Amino acid sequence: MTLSWRRTFRGIVLCGLFLAVEPGRAEYRRIQLKVYGLDCELCARGVSASIHRMAGVRSVEVSLRTGVLRIELIPGNTFKMSDLRNRIRENGFRPMEATVTAVGRFNGSKFEVLGTGESYDVAVPEAKGVDEPELTFEIRQ
Amino acid sequence: MKRVVFLCVCCLGAIRGWADAHGPAFGYSTTTLGSGDSSIETVAMWRGGVAMIGPRFSYGVTENLQFSISAPFDVNHGEHPVGRFTGMMPGEPQAEALVAWRFHHALTGIGTRNESTLYMGVSGTTQTLPRLDGPPLSREPAYYVAAATGHISRSYYIWAGAGYQHYGHWGDSEDHQSDSLLTSAVVGWRPQFFYKDYPRPDVRFFWETTGERTGLAHRGGSASTAPVTGGGHDQSAAIEASPRDANDYVVLPNSGGAGIFSGPTFLCTYRNIAFQGGVMFPVWSQLNGTQPAEGFRSFIGVSYFFLKGRK
Repeated sequence: MTLSWRRTFRGIVLCGLFLAVEPGRAEYRRIQLKVYGLDCELCARGVSASIHRMAGVRSVEVSLRTGVLRIELIPGNTFKMSDLRNRIRENGFRPMEATVTAVGRFNGSKFEVLGTGESYDVAVPEAKGVDEPELTFEIRQ
Repeated sequence: MKRVVFLCVCCLGAIRGWADAHGPAFGYSTTTLGSGDSSIETVAMWRGGVAMIGPRFSYGVTENLQFSISAPFDVNHGEHPVGRFTGMMPGEPQAEALVAWRFHHALTGIGTRNESTLYMGVSGTTQTLPRLDGPPLSREPAYYVAAATGHISRSYYIWAGAGYQHYGHWGDSEDHQSDSLLTSAVVGWRPQFFYKDYPRPDVRFFWETTGERTGLAHRGGSASTAPVTGGGHDQSAAIEASPRDANDYVVLPNSGGAGIFSGPTFLCTYRNIAFQGGVMFPVWSQLNGTQPAEGFRSFIGVSYFFLKGRK
């Protein structure tokens, strides 16, 4: 009886660990997003502070020269590009094209960033055989 | 008590620095705070021998809608010039609530945007202004409407705007303050040296020109025959000879006029703090009467932005 309880407990713990780790394998890792309209230090500071408060963000860098935001994300995040674009608009600026590094799966011709509901047309044929590849690709506006 | 409250606000402004001061000092601009941002600002202003302190609080309701409250007050009394001091702040001791709506916002490139903003405000007087030509006029609430449009980029800025302040007749008073029209044109420039990436000090220089026209004030009721006392010059003869309007109120001859002022200003932002200041000199002036003309007007302010409320 005691042995059976131990096995059950061990099984629950292993299932929990598996469920906790598995969704983290498909996610955004790094994002470089071009933004229109950022002209001053205060604007950059405000946008940086705003994005830093989004769940899953490790660091934000803003370049006023290039108008590019560089975002590093925490492993296991549930960050969505659509949320990022909305946040930029709420700050009064315009999100443009992005270069994204993400882990996901191919579903036909689409590369899905699992757990986000977001998928993209990515032309990397050699990655299609890989189970969950980490790819860097560009997203148009 | 009122003084204590004002001093507290001023001290807070000095310690915590400010808000939406990412525009010119005197003229109209289009910038608004981000959604959830707020700012406090304290400015010191001089015009025509009168010094004023102007505290202001602003809050960004959305990225295109901003609410501000300002309450400039006199530090010393004198022959007080009338008309607005800046596009964003009254030129007389008043508490003003101002709503700014950025109704046009085109983001056209990296660091570049074209935008237009509409301002609407209401203000009530907080201090009585002494007059050299008789007892103080009773003061009524005022309405204010203004609009500004501009182009913003990393290298240069251009803004133009105009606003009109009208004193209403909400009470029993028969006196009427001078309505005022303020227009402005601003060009700004960020030197190449400050094309640094965040977080570095960001400095911009502006050349601001304002044009204003202030109407004649009217004195009604028994006050029109009150004895004239004080001041450096007796103007009772001028009052007796002055015309009367349709309501038989005295049109005060030494009130209002028109003028154009122009001069350099600057804005420096670093982290959450902004410093701003400048001076303008009269290019052309045509006063209605013999009241003293303004030799110059100057402005210096510090602001602190609270960005933690931003989404």
